[in-house]
Amino acid sequence: MSLVAVDKKKVWSGGQSPFNLSYGKIMMWYFLMSDAFTFGAFLISYGTTRFFSNVWPDANEVFASFPWLAPNGGAPMAFVSLMTFILIISSVTMVLAVHAGHCRDKNGVIKWMIWTILGGIAFLSCQAWEWTHLYHHGAWWGSFRTMADGSIAHGASLAHFFSHNVPPDVATGVAGADAAHKFFNFFFTITGFHGAHVASGVVLNIILLLNTINGTYERRGHYEMVEKIGLYWHFVDLVWVFVFTCFYLL
Amino acid sequence: MEFNDYEADQSRLYNLHHTLDKNSADSKNKVKKIWKITLWLSIITIIEVAIGLYCFYNHIPKTIPNVGFIVMTLLKAGLIVSVFMHLGDEVQNMIMTIIIPLALFIWFIIAFLYDGNFWLWINHAFSIK
Repeated sequence: MSLVAVDKKKVWSGGQSPFNLSYGKIMMWYFLMSDAFTFGAFLISYGTTRFFSNVWPDANEVFASFPWLAPNGGAPMAFVSLMTFILIISSVTMVLAVHAGHCRDKNGVIKWMIWTILGGIAFLSCQAWEWTHLYHHGAWWGSFRTMADGSIAHGASLAHFFSHNVPPDVATGVAGADAAHKFFNFFFTITGFHGAHVASGVVLNIILLLNTINGTYERRGHYEMVEKIGLYWHFVDLVWVFVFTCFYLL
Repeated sequence: MEFNDYEADQSRLYNLHHTLDKNSADSKNKVKKIWKITLWLSIITIIEVAIGLYCFYNHIPKTIPNVGFIVMTLLKAGLIVSVFMHLGDEVQNMIMTIIIPLALFIWFIIAFLYDGNFWLWINHAFSIK
């Protein structure tokens, strides 16, 4: 790092970037930091509600289906593990695109961006399947509310959401319905907010790919835009790491 | 250097790394490191899922594994941020402007989970359903 040799006072006296970064990249970092607090607030409110509840759905029971292979359960965690793996791989192809950009290797950037976009679309498709699957079991925003007459819409599904040590009458009763109601409100809100980030990331990646093909960055003399969009894409993967832990593991 | 230069050509003010040769040993080592980190991220995820499923099928409470899940999650996050997002390569002061604000999470998590637990307790104490 050339800055190390420079007198510390001179680093801040103008004529150079003290952080050795462009304005755009620094601002992307600070945007991501603020976004981390938004996601953090979501996940912590999920945790608070969970600590506040007597019973809570077991992720191994709720997320146990796999398209075609196990559409009616019996494969706990399998599908979400696949989704996690897809997102990790798309993060890897993104960092390879960033690396190709450092080398000013236009074809390399194009190749790895195409893989990254495919990974993002694959992840969103998986999420669409999972949401649809849960919706058909009665889970949605505001679902499993206890009515004034004591009945619960789709109440029969509740028995499948809880661990073996939760008595069936508790799981299908008011306590179970209330916990599932909160659980799915948080689940759809948080994975939805994350999915919106993935979707906008895919759009940004497509714009990036088109600009690369058009030679915009070649003419500009650098591929820094790949790094900036790359930061956003890695952040989306980073958030999923925490969503995965909070919703599926803990 | 004139101030106008800052608007005109930022590349003189910071390193845009556009000199790396694709076929150089330096470039190949960087690609190798990316794949190594990929392997680690995959291994950690597989371990997490394996522990989760083992506890599920054998009806083991997840109190202790949960600590492991949190440690492994932070490890994965650290690898992604420092290597994939290249934060590890930035100037120390820049790293600190990101890390120090995130320390708020320590208070945030403890305070809110404690609050949730307290309300559960008080509802039990007064038999509120």
